Amino acid sequence: MQNKLPLYIFLSLVLLLVLAAGALYMGVYEFEKHSFFAIFQAIFNNDSSIPDSDKYVLLELRLPRIVMSILVGSALAVSGTCLQGMFKNPLASPDLIGITSGAMLFAAVSIVLGSHFKPYIPEVFHFSMLSIAAFLGALLTMTIVYRISTSNGKTNVVVMLLSGVAITAISFATTGFLIYLSKEEQLRDLTFWNLGSLGGATWTKNAILAAIILIAFSFLITKGKALNAMMLGERDAQHLGVPVEKIKKKIVVLTALLVGTCVAFSGNIGFIGLIVPYILRLLFKSNYHIILPMSAIFGSILLLTADTISRTIVPPSEIPIGILTAFMGAPIFIAILIRNKKSM
Amino acid sequence: MLEACKISYSHKKFSILENIDVSVNYGELLVIVGPNGAGKSTLLSMLANEMGQSEEPIYFKKKTFEEWDQKILPQHKAKFSQQNSNDIPLTVNDVVMMGRYPYFNSVPQQSDIDAVMKSMAETDVVAMKDRDYNTLSGGERQRVHLARVLAQLENDIAHKLVFMDEPLNNLDILHQHRILHTLKNFTELGNTAIVVLHDLNLAAQFADQVLLLKKGKIVSHDKPEKVFTKEIISKVYNFPCTICLNPVNQNPLIIFGT
Repeated sequence: MQNKLPLYIFLSLVLLLVLAAGALYMGVYEFEKHSFFAIFQAIFNNDSSIPDSDKYVLLELRLPRIVMSILVGSALAVSGTCLQGMFKNPLASPDLIGITSGAMLFAAVSIVLGSHFKPYIPEVFHFSMLSIAAFLGALLTMTIVYRISTSNGKTNVVVMLLSGVAITAISFATTGFLIYLSKEEQLRDLTFWNLGSLGGATWTKNAILAAIILIAFSFLITKGKALNAMMLGERDAQHLGVPVEKIKKKIVVLTALLVGTCVAFSGNIGFIGLIVPYILRLLFKSNYHIILPMSAIFGSILLLTADTISRTIVPPSEIPIGILTAFMGAPIFIAILIRNKKSM
Repeated sequence: MLEACKISYSHKKFSILENIDVSVNYGELLVIVGPNGAGKSTLLSMLANEMGQSEEPIYFKKKTFEEWDQKILPQHKAKFSQQNSNDIPLTVNDVVMMGRYPYFNSVPQQSDIDAVMKSMAETDVVAMKDRDYNTLSGGERQRVHLARVLAQLENDIAHKLVFMDEPLNNLDILHQHRILHTLKNFTELGNTAIVVLHDLNLAAQFADQVLLLKKGKIVSHDKPEKVFTKEIISKVYNFPCTICLNPVNQNPLIIFGT
């Protein structure tokens, strides 16, 4: 099965490309009879026969949004898969164990109270304060959850999920309090984070996301073997030459970075890190050597599809994407619970 | 091969091992025996460098474990541990293939596939190679992990070292003897094995050296016929026994309760 991995990757990449091309055509705005090929060509040749609005919708709205859904989906799915490997449990996903809420909390604090902190923070960080806050929030909660729920390399699943519940509760309470304090403009921002949306996609954000994903994936994607070996127990993995502690630290920091950045740019899009590994496990068993790289692509496929549905199902408005992913994820959460009832 | 001096270990002020000196030679099969709670598994863990850095360094082929290249070390030594994780949602073949992880980067080579097949044949698990690990019985799982450890040391390096903590648990008579014969063949090639066993008669039959532990101290460390005497064994195990010569292979034969 391991030898077929390149084939699986190729096929799912083709599927992703087809879906992305399809998503370009879908949307509320109708293009004036031009094919996209013609529009791209016109942009290339500085042809003025194409209306500016067509160009704008394609290049500044639809395309960046599609790219962002691909990037965010991939990042969330890979963080979910890595966390499941580290916690050795299919329920460990950034939202269920509270990492997303931790990032949300810090993001909310920086939105509402950011203007008070600004004088104390070096100027270079002002632009990216939200992302940094979300990253710190994610890192902090991940460390807390891991410390509370794991001793001697064994994770207590119930404690892990309950510490997620506790952190989510704190985060909700604080966000509620902040909403009470905030001005109208900040309020709109907060609602956006809470429900999740890819509507704010721009090329700058995509470039930052892509850079972070490139850094994180270059380390994480190749760790499938190590995560497999850790299923034996951490000592046995060490006898196979896996530097367990080092890998765990890197997973904690890099998934916090991924989740934090995703939350900063697209708000709370839940359950991607739960759904994607679950489906891949049904297809390929728990072989992380296969499901880790595959989750990078399937995460993109899932979020791209969900986002296309969310912006076309109730024209002319759109439903927040977090609602859609929750509708898909919650039944899977329940399915995993029923399946693992005995081993909890 | 492996030299360790003054190994001590205590857990919450409760001393488990006290000042143990061990040295093992090339081609030696050392069996560690002793009553429950003697510190056998702890000693094996210490020797296998599982407890982190010990106060007194342990020398493996004249180098401490820290001095070894951590990528090369797994090709020289392997360990079979007692409590293996009970939930591994992979096929048997995938689990045995983990033993080859120190050898390939992303795709297993033909040599890795061959090594996996060879060691699966050795522990008699070829027939269940495509089954889910989680559906196996205790003894079958044990053999899968033994195959994994054997696959890890399947290479051309001379003088390898294997640690095994009660490898015969849950195994039937046939497989107990097959595993011990495999270990014996392994050491006859110049490699070394350090094994914790409970069955004294099997230890007497296969061991080159026996290390008898009680309450964290060495009672005796010598050839089987020197260690297995009526006085030592009945005192250490606190149970009467008779020792005679095995009429077939002339090894000591321990009969308890007489």
